[in-house]
Amino acid sequence: MRKWFFLSIGQKYLIGLTGLGLALFVLLHMLGNLLIFAGDKAYNLYMHQMVHGKAAFFIQVGLLAAFLLHIILALFLSVKNYFSRSEKYARQASGWKATAWYQKSLIFQGAIILVFVVLHLITFKFGTYYEVVYEGKTIRNLFQLVVEEFQKPVTVLWYLIALLVLCVHLFHGLISSFQSLGLSHPRFDFWIKKLSFGYAVFVTMGYVSLPLYVFFFMTEKGG
Amino acid sequence: MLLKLKIWRQKRGQKKGSFENYEMDHLSPDMSFLEMLDQLNEDLVGQKKVPVAFDHDCREGICGSCSLVINGNPHGPHAGSAVCQLHLRSFKDKEEIWIEPFRAKAFPVLQDLIVDRSAFDRIIQSGAYVSVNTGQAPEAHSILVEKAKAEEAFSHAACIGCGACVAVCKNASASLFVAAKVSHLALLPQGKVEKKARVLKMVKQMEKEGFGACTNTGACSRACPKEISLHSIARMNREYFKSIF
Amino acid sequence: MKFFNHIPSGPLEQKWDRHCFELPLVNPANKRKHHIIVVGTGLAGASASASLAELGYQVKTFCIQDSPRRAHSIAAQGGINAAKNYPGDGDSIRRLFYDTIKGGDFRSREANVYRLAQISNQIIDQCVAQGVPFAREYGGLLANRSFGGAQVSRTFYARGQTGQQLLLGAYGALMRQVDKGGVRLFPRHEMMDLAVVEGQVAGVVTRNLLTGEIKSHFAQAVILATGGYGNIFYLSTNAMHSNASAAWRCYKKGAFFANPCFTQIHPTCIPRSGDHQSKLTLLSESLRNDGRIWVPKKSGDKRVPENIPEGERDYYLERIYPSFGNLTPRDLASRQAKFQVDAGKGVGPTGEAVYLDFKEALERRGKNFLSEKYGNLFQIYEKITGENPYEKPMRIYPAVHYTMGGLWVDYNLESTVKGLFVLGEANFSDHGANRLGASALMQGLADGYFIIPRTIARHLVERSSLEEKKVKKALEESVKEVQKRLDKVLQIKGGKTAGAIHRELGYLLWEYVGMLRNEKGLIQVITAIQGLKDQFWKELFIPGEQHYKNAELEKALRVADFLELAELMAQDSLERKESCGSHFREEYQSQEQEALRDDEHFCHVSVWEHTEGKKALLHKEPLEFKEVSLSVRSYK
Repeated sequence: MRKWFFLSIGQKYLIGLTGLGLALFVLLHMLGNLLIFAGDKAYNLYMHQMVHGKAAFFIQVGLLAAFLLHIILALFLSVKNYFSRSEKYARQASGWKATAWYQKSLIFQGAIILVFVVLHLITFKFGTYYEVVYEGKTIRNLFQLVVEEFQKPVTVLWYLIALLVLCVHLFHGLISSFQSLGLSHPRFDFWIKKLSFGYAVFVTMGYVSLPLYVFFFMTEKGG
Repeated sequence: MLLKLKIWRQKRGQKKGSFENYEMDHLSPDMSFLEMLDQLNEDLVGQKKVPVAFDHDCREGICGSCSLVINGNPHGPHAGSAVCQLHLRSFKDKEEIWIEPFRAKAFPVLQDLIVDRSAFDRIIQSGAYVSVNTGQAPEAHSILVEKAKAEEAFSHAACIGCGACVAVCKNASASLFVAAKVSHLALLPQGKVEKKARVLKMVKQMEKEGFGACTNTGACSRACPKEISLHSIARMNREYFKSIF
Repeated sequence: MKFFNHIPSGPLEQKWDRHCFELPLVNPANKRKHHIIVVGTGLAGASASASLAELGYQVKTFCIQDSPRRAHSIAAQGGINAAKNYPGDGDSIRRLFYDTIKGGDFRSREANVYRLAQISNQIIDQCVAQGVPFAREYGGLLANRSFGGAQVSRTFYARGQTGQQLLLGAYGALMRQVDKGGVRLFPRHEMMDLAVVEGQVAGVVTRNLLTGEIKSHFAQAVILATGGYGNIFYLSTNAMHSNASAAWRCYKKGAFFANPCFTQIHPTCIPRSGDHQSKLTLLSESLRNDGRIWVPKKSGDKRVPENIPEGERDYYLERIYPSFGNLTPRDLASRQAKFQVDAGKGVGPTGEAVYLDFKEALERRGKNFLSEKYGNLFQIYEKITGENPYEKPMRIYPAVHYTMGGLWVDYNLESTVKGLFVLGEANFSDHGANRLGASALMQGLADGYFIIPRTIARHLVERSSLEEKKVKKALEESVKEVQKRLDKVLQIKGGKTAGAIHRELGYLLWEYVGMLRNEKGLIQVITAIQGLKDQFWKELFIPGEQHYKNAELEKALRVADFLELAELMAQDSLERKESCGSHFREEYQSQEQEALRDDEHFCHVSVWEHTEGKKALLHKEPLEFKEVSLSVRSYK
């Protein structure tokens, strides 16, 4: 059993599992974000619940663990994979036999996403702490921070790029996870592919809508 | 027609090699790619030079000896065929063609375009068979196999062990090769008894040989002369998972 | 007579069982003291290596390819025969035996062939147990098809890759024994010589094809499973490296060679496209079920096939053999194609081809029917020629495909050198003057899985123990001899490549010792071959040296042996003054160009003995037929 995870297939299994977990988180997070369209109160209360709720701690720890495991194993395999070919080819495969760019660059997409996540946490989780009072309760006014941040064109552009990368990563990552977990099958292939594509696009559209909406339709005062 | 060849030359026992340029003229488009190399070698011998060493044997795409990468593509540009089934009519007049050996840490180059693929034999040796001695077999009709299963098993068993999957994979992974064998035997009742031990042993040996991990790009299946499906790898992963229990 | 075939007495049906019982057994504890060398890893070699190691013998296995899985058995397409009678269409061991004897034109041994038919059923059991994915019916039972004109369906198959699947099964069994330590594997090694002491094998000398290292290996028994010599014709359906050298070296060390003139020419191959051609590709003869063979009626007609009207086409097989039509047996179909080409009616750019036309089948049964049945064959054809057989008629021409002749062996598969056993295509034993379709795989596996593990015991038990000093000396001398031969070929500093000489040899053989042979031509060709041999030893050029992979050196050594064997082939053809099976002497034909067999004078195996410096000596092993009556094949 211990040996099992030391072989690459076991590791790929874990990358796939954590990947699917993270994909689920990304979807939920995105759905939460959409509350921004419902105004500051709904959004702030929801975010408060997320951070201070009873299960919040466990979710955060679990998330961090999955994230780290996903990255560490992926890094480990990437290094191993890199060295499994000592002399590189002078010419790259082309046409039908070529490997698609988005498949080749998975680890770099991951790196961009990692940088994005770190910056994202710095900006929002550990960013300026505005407060707001609702029904006598003082909670963090994340809404204000979000609106403030997404007034900056550079930030919006960076988010758009990073989210596009996430989209690509999700698309291949989802299909790949099914394959790694041994779940793909000729009968479901078509649907796995469609579903992964739909999922990635849906999640990305959801995310992208927020900075765009804020940038184009909101002022710092809100509304 | 005229072709400008850039061929990898590497002397036996040396770790480094380099490309050398050769120009071939008056070629017939009906010539096979390997016949062109024959011609080149005959010309080289005529000039008292050492010919290019390359592996080949059956020249009908079944023995799996050929190990050439042509312009970056293992076995050349076409799907579902080995390099011995490639003809010059697939190239343009005056085209530049790069010819390299299969490259992977587990397939060290031995001389020119010849590589050492004994790693594949060792993977098979580790458990890719049904343990039955000669003469122990029961009557053939005592084992029934569903027609569709038999056909699926065949499509995996069609692997010719050439190593194009490793050559094309960005990670030099042998997953398709191993998975094809795992799937072939796991699908048949004869292979079911040993399937847990088999998949573990084969995967362990694969890692030991220094092949990379699979990142599910599917390039292996597209380069495979027998077009072995990527589903074999999913099946291997499944069998690997089930082997815990 | 200096040799005995050791055919057991008693009724035909009981010979093998009785023989098995009478053969001595080797004590299990003693088995691992016996060292056995197997050369070749095709169906016969791989199955023999695995089976012997399973019994406990110490086996060393050599092959010239980089992996044992690449031996040329892998390329066999059609299938494997067995007398299971699963379809219930009246097959039996006796019928398979009879068909094989008759197909071989009554030039093989009854006892051997009967044993082959008996064992055929066990082979299927064994292969199925190994996980060979044979074709199945919907109920899960094994599927059969009829093949090569047989009137019963007895051929088991795995799509068009039966040889591959069977070989991979045997290769798996072999690798299992490698893992267990019973077999030591030596890939990329070529056998260069056989060491013999007092008429008994002492071992072999091999050359590592990568490093050039020459080494001797001791063994109490040597098993040769190195395939046939079809490549002697330069163009054949054999793999590029298939060769006769190992067998020829054994011949020169005292093993007799039988029926070298029996070489099978397969009618449906893709014709050569020019002088650059390096080998030919076979298309399964099942194509003849739906394709119609024709040539233009006018000789020298260079119009494209579409422009030749129906009335100006000659469907010659249908015309000459109205009852069998396009399905006449291999030798007849091949010969008729040659007659047409010789009459100037050949088609295609080289004029060495006839049309195989699917137009009528396409109109009658539709494209789907054809693609389901022949899709992969059409693909192979299109890949090679660039032409689409649905639109244009295929061009086909006969090509050398299999050699029935080979080293002479007795009933135990032992040659005239004690302890040297020869299996598969390398021996001469079971196919007489012509081999039936789907029988080669059967014979290779019968020899390797079931016969040799049993018959080798007698030699191991009864062999006289050789003095260690003598064995050592013999092995050392063999190494020296091999080195001398290498030095000799490397020293010739002429200007001709081995390939060029081989091509010339191939041309001569194809013309004079091919489908049609006659006395004048054979006498001429013997002189021509001798001239070519002189040329070889004077004008050859091999670049480089022996201590790395040197394909030119390998080729030269093989061509040198082919040149000697070619002479023996021509000699044998000359001596056999009859037409039988694949051997067609123009002097011996009926008015209708049918072969005339001469059972009174030639119902024997021609067994050739090497004599140093002199012409080979001909012995005759008479063939007795007690169970079948000699009949004349007629397909009109």
